[in-house]
Amino acid sequence: MGSGAEAVRIEGLSKVFDERVRALSNIDLVVREGEFLAVLGLSGSGKSTLLRCINRLIDPTGGRIWIDGEEITAAKGAQLRRMRQKIAMIFQQFNLVRRHSVILNVLTGTLGRTGIAGSLLLRFPQEERRRAVAFLERVGLGDHVEARADTLSGGQQQRVAIARALMQRPRLVLADEPVASLDPALRHSVMRHIEALNRDEGLTVLCSLHDIDLVKAYATRVVALRAGRLVWAGLPEELDMDVFHEIYGEDAEMASNASL
Amino acid sequence: MAGETPLAATRTPWERAVGRLKAIVIDTVLLALALAMAEFLALAFSGRRGPTGMLLGAEEILDLLHYGWIASLAFAGAMVWNLFEHFLGSSPGRALAMGPREAEEGLEWHETLRGWFVAVLIELTFFTGWLVTEVDLGSFLTKFSKASGIVRGLVHPSGAVLHQGLVLLVQTIFLAFMATAFAIPVAFCLSFLAARNLTRGSALSRAVYLVTRTGMNFTRAVEPLVWALIFISWVGIGPFAGVLALWVHSVAALTKLYSEQIESIDPGPVDAIKATGARTLQVLRYGVVPQVIPPFLSFTIYRWDINVRMSTIIGFVGGGGIGYILKPRVDLGEWGEVGTLVLLIAVTVWLMDLVSAKIRERIV
Repeated sequence: MGSGAEAVRIEGLSKVFDERVRALSNIDLVVREGEFLAVLGLSGSGKSTLLRCINRLIDPTGGRIWIDGEEITAAKGAQLRRMRQKIAMIFQQFNLVRRHSVILNVLTGTLGRTGIAGSLLLRFPQEERRRAVAFLERVGLGDHVEARADTLSGGQQQRVAIARALMQRPRLVLADEPVASLDPALRHSVMRHIEALNRDEGLTVLCSLHDIDLVKAYATRVVALRAGRLVWAGLPEELDMDVFHEIYGEDAEMASNASL
Repeated sequence: MAGETPLAATRTPWERAVGRLKAIVIDTVLLALALAMAEFLALAFSGRRGPTGMLLGAEEILDLLHYGWIASLAFAGAMVWNLFEHFLGSSPGRALAMGPREAEEGLEWHETLRGWFVAVLIELTFFTGWLVTEVDLGSFLTKFSKASGIVRGLVHPSGAVLHQGLVLLVQTIFLAFMATAFAIPVAFCLSFLAARNLTRGSALSRAVYLVTRTGMNFTRAVEPLVWALIFISWVGIGPFAGVLALWVHSVAALTKLYSEQIESIDPGPVDAIKATGARTLQVLRYGVVPQVIPPFLSFTIYRWDINVRMSTIIGFVGGGGIGYILKPRVDLGEWGEVGTLVLLIAVTVWLMDLVSAKIRERIV
């Protein structure tokens, strides 16, 4: 852990929105292969911007990012699309195509490698369909293959999104507050599937979270952002009251003191 | 209110200067309008001119405007009002551009000069409009008998044109349908180019957005009857000219409606599809299209409904449909036959309205 090759290298990353709002300031970060790296911070601290810069959903205003040694900040067109295929993303709001069936949503994970003509007609190879069904069974949704995505509960939709991520055959998974819009009781069921991506599939995971309990339960390493700056990096067990105040400010109160 | 920062104080000097400039421009226009209309009314009522003198009066005022007298007077008035607003109260322009002075908060309209000015302006507009549009209540109230033939015709429709009317009514509905059908694919493609959220990528795509938007706005501003005249000289008199006229107008209208729908989609699925490494066309197919299909269908049916209404009169200028036989009968005063055709149109429009509302209810 932490000894593998570099999965992601970030140097001097900055993002300024509309020439005024500074979302990220000069971030340096290396993520090693096989890590489950949690990104902590208040809402608005830049966690989401950081993750979206890594797969270029947002274009940074400064700095460079390498994925497996290949610079994504310099990639364009076909090269950028090829690099994105290796980076799956899981969103807070699941972001499924609501009117499509569950299996069609999972199959969109293959769009980077399927032929354009077939995919515009919503056609996918039989082989891919079999994989999609297998992944849905793995996340416990084998009975919902043909259901419309918006008929599923939030927790189920996020598991569809995880199956979609698996479909991409990624090497890296970006999870942006994956359980923040879920009922607290369902959080662990989704987090365990993300943990499985890391542990069983050997994927590198970058996951933004704001719940320290979840960080301690799942992460192998933690970094924290505050007002767009990297203010702390360490191991989950090193998170204590001092660090907590450093990340969240002196006024913050611990939701669950007992866990520290 | 004591503890709050006044709104004006939060503005930069630059914003205040721009606001004041806007205020003076608005005031100048309003004062010029008031002066011109007062002048017109004074001339009309001075007795030196009869009712036919109205137009002459209008010309004179255009001349005055041309020489800039009213304009300079209005500009001077606007300057005075803005300079001495401490005594005169906020001018209408100031109130519109920057909000009224704080000291005036809570005043009724009749407690400010601005309120009185606006009231007088409305009165002036009403009376000027009365003269300009040659309102003649006398004829309206006493000469109904001249039109009674039409009303009698509507109540006693003649069966002579029923068959021809029905045939042309079918043509009218098909005309509207074909115009809508031809418009769908064109508007569908154009709407992606006219959606702001999809055209932020590069300078080229922003240019495409601007050109598409401007072109569609211009096309929509031209009435279908005018388009019909153009296409009649292009493809000749007949229903196809009507189809083309309604098609052009529908493309512009649907592009606007479709693209506004695209602008209001949830960006989440677009991000998710993009993140899989999909191409732009795939991102549109999976991230955008599924979100916009139901509202697109609804708009399209609504448009067909509008096109049926329009196609009933497109025949007046030779664009086919039921209007084509309605116009000569109006000219000849065949009121019974006019009555039949008008009833056919009314029933069709009413039915279309009903059906389209029902279908749209189902979709959304």
